[in-house]
Amino acid sequence: MEEIVRFLLEHPPFSQLPLLQIQRIASAVQIEYFGQGAHILTQGGKPASFLYLIRRGSVDLLQERNGVVELTDTLSEGECFGYVSLIRGKPPISTVRAHEATLCYLIPAALFHQLRRDYPSFAQFFARSITDRLEHALQQRHATAAPELFQTRLRDLITEPLVTVSPDTPVREAARRMREAQASALIVDLPPYGVLDAGSGIVTDRDLRNRVVAEGLDYNTPIAQVMSAPAITAPADCLVFEGLLKMIEHGVHHLPLSDGGQIIGVVSYRDFLRLQSHNPLLMPQRLVRAHSDADLRAYTEQVTATVGGLLDAGARVSDIGRAVAAAHDALLVHIIRDAEAALGPPPCPYAWLVLGSEGRYEQTLRTDQDNALIYADNAPEGAEAYFEALAERVVEQLVRCGFPRCPGNVMATNPQWRQPRSVWQNYFRQWISVPSEEALLQTAIFFDLRPVYGTLDTEASLRPIILRARENRIFLGRLARAALRQTAPINFFRQLVLERRGDQRGVIDLKYRGTAMIVDLARLFALEAGVPDTNTITRLRKSANHSSLSETSAEELIAAFELIGLLRLRWQYQQLRQGLEPGNQVEVDKLTPLERRELKEALRAVAVAQRAVAVTFQTSLIA
Amino acid sequence: MMGAAMFLFRRRPANLPEPVVQYLDAPRPDPALLWRDVPYSVMDVETTGLNPRRDALLAIGLVDIDEGRIRMDRRWYSLVRPPDDAPVNPEAIRIHGLLPQDVEHAPPLDDVIPVMLQRLTGRVLVVHVADVDIGFLRQAMRRLYGVEPRGPAIDTARLAWHFQRHQHLIEGSGSDQEPALQLRALAESVGLPVYPEHNAFNDALTTAQLFLAQVSMFEAHGTPRLRDLLRAGGCLR
Repeated sequence: MEEIVRFLLEHPPFSQLPLLQIQRIASAVQIEYFGQGAHILTQGGKPASFLYLIRRGSVDLLQERNGVVELTDTLSEGECFGYVSLIRGKPPISTVRAHEATLCYLIPAALFHQLRRDYPSFAQFFARSITDRLEHALQQRHATAAPELFQTRLRDLITEPLVTVSPDTPVREAARRMREAQASALIVDLPPYGVLDAGSGIVTDRDLRNRVVAEGLDYNTPIAQVMSAPAITAPADCLVFEGLLKMIEHGVHHLPLSDGGQIIGVVSYRDFLRLQSHNPLLMPQRLVRAHSDADLRAYTEQVTATVGGLLDAGARVSDIGRAVAAAHDALLVHIIRDAEAALGPPPCPYAWLVLGSEGRYEQTLRTDQDNALIYADNAPEGAEAYFEALAERVVEQLVRCGFPRCPGNVMATNPQWRQPRSVWQNYFRQWISVPSEEALLQTAIFFDLRPVYGTLDTEASLRPIILRARENRIFLGRLARAALRQTAPINFFRQLVLERRGDQRGVIDLKYRGTAMIVDLARLFALEAGVPDTNTITRLRKSANHSSLSETSAEELIAAFELIGLLRLRWQYQQLRQGLEPGNQVEVDKLTPLERRELKEALRAVAVAQRAVAVTFQTSLIA
Repeated sequence: MMGAAMFLFRRRPANLPEPVVQYLDAPRPDPALLWRDVPYSVMDVETTGLNPRRDALLAIGLVDIDEGRIRMDRRWYSLVRPPDDAPVNPEAIRIHGLLPQDVEHAPPLDDVIPVMLQRLTGRVLVVHVADVDIGFLRQAMRRLYGVEPRGPAIDTARLAWHFQRHQHLIEGSGSDQEPALQLRALAESVGLPVYPEHNAFNDALTTAQLFLAQVSMFEAHGTPRLRDLLRAGGCLR
């Protein structure tokens, strides 16, 4: 008994059940021994009446298709089988054969179904779709790694009383009310009065200091003149981590919480700090005080350290990407403003663009610079010289902060990528109408552009041209073919395909044969659907059902993207900690069995999506 | 010694408790049955010593095998209060870990045996080293009811010896080393997990798993029948 309990305690999903339930399972299991080669379940045969948990040994899953029997997977100690048949009540879809002498614990069907009913996490584990399973794997990490960030709701952080005033309240009166209530922010009730809705305004301690005292405003000034409205709010049931991201993204210190459309309270940065005193997430604040190069370098180091912290805390890679983007954007803006301060105001509107992974909000560790500059047509004389000097300064400063120059010279210092609006528009038109190899490479970088600083409206200038490419079937076909150039490294037998040569033996490249494949697919689908966003997950989400991408496939790809990204980042961090240069080549035998299984699932989802793309776009080309 | 032989032919004593009667009257399983179609009960006992005549039972563990599967939901374990003239000796405590106070309030043997026989009714008994386990059962049944335990029964130690002998014949290994027949060593040699030893229930479970592993060794020559198992490891007629 104790032995069986101990074993269950060590293996998910049982390990997540209360001890009482585990004991209940242990006293209800049946134990069966299978000699090597014994058939445990038979494809198309009698439906399973137990959930099988391998205690010792391993089993092969075999599937017969068109008279050919294929090995689809091998399961070992601690893994389960039989649940697909159990859940559907249908004959097994695979034959399960003992690969070696194997001892199994058998959980009776009735108990299995009851556990699925009573424990959602248990049911999730056996969910049929890969999306559900990958999602579950992520949730598990969140829950165990940093409960305070991923399990606490924003509403649980509310400590300050909610203070509200009408918009015509004099600032002195408002300040007095804040002092009385010991609140660091107050909500300004805007029409319709009496309803604190999402349109309400907010005034904080800092606003009183910066906008009233520092500006020398009359203390009888109506509060509405110094408030921020509408306030940036968050649903009260958001996770603390999401709230934190929102504050960082918008650079605010207070977050009014809404519940059913009503503001129910305000949480402040201080409330977050109290929850996690060593949280390094409030970095953009440090930039304000940064002046020397050393300060800026320290800042970027801090960002890198934060990624590690977030990773340990179980954050999603997509969330880490957003946090890092916010931090790096803040740095970039700081650097550009310094350059402007040194060179004088710009001669005409312009915008500084970030490209590639930064453009997609997917940069996690510091990588090479990818940037460009666009300025208004009919710029005055000397504009070109001004922007050249500006680009030199900014790029140089970024290098000093630890962002190496782009080896392919995709930077604003390259005159080719520092051009007036009309030239840029021609670039894009050219790439789309003549989709050469070279052009396709450029689109992979430039379609993912994102303006970070400047007044020129890049989106309005360039995005419509990019989106018009969807009408060009030849271009789409070429883009599809480029997206399929790398195939998911998984074979028909659901085994990982590893490098077999030299020092690359047993290795898988999680970027080129992992995340990058999904990025390329997402770009294709987004274009097909006319979605202007650059972020891979947003692209997938928005193009589902509006392109050849189905909603299920989109969900699977998103889950796969998160998972491969997580494995990759974790791997890179491990290398960083060992003082190595982080790379993308992962040694598969260093992954845990669970990680291997998840990777297999994720790559399978990519392979399925790739096959669908091949079919869709080949057909459209012929037609 | 004559007495023991005579015993077999004696008429059944009158006024036996109902469970004992049913145990004795149950039909024996047909030896021609496929092994899976036979119900088994795997037993292990803890005692104050190794001599069934002198020493007393302290605990009995049973687990059933139905349709070739060990049934944790049909397990049974009982402590037994030893008679006053057979106290728990310190030597044995080291092995089974049972202290006098553990069994002080346990039911006496004549309460435990009928319950146990009820569970064994119609089943093939499986034990590891029959001399000890069946020896104690026999002694208890004789003393309480004047009857003998019924076969058939299977001894996993005897099965192990059977396989080892075959191995010797096949491989022509000249080693005349005494084969290791301890439960734990055998279980480990076929890659089975071992449960903490010297608890009557855990040992019964380990024996049950060993039994299933041994049966699977027959499978190479086709699914064995009860008869095949009895021929190789039978121990009680």
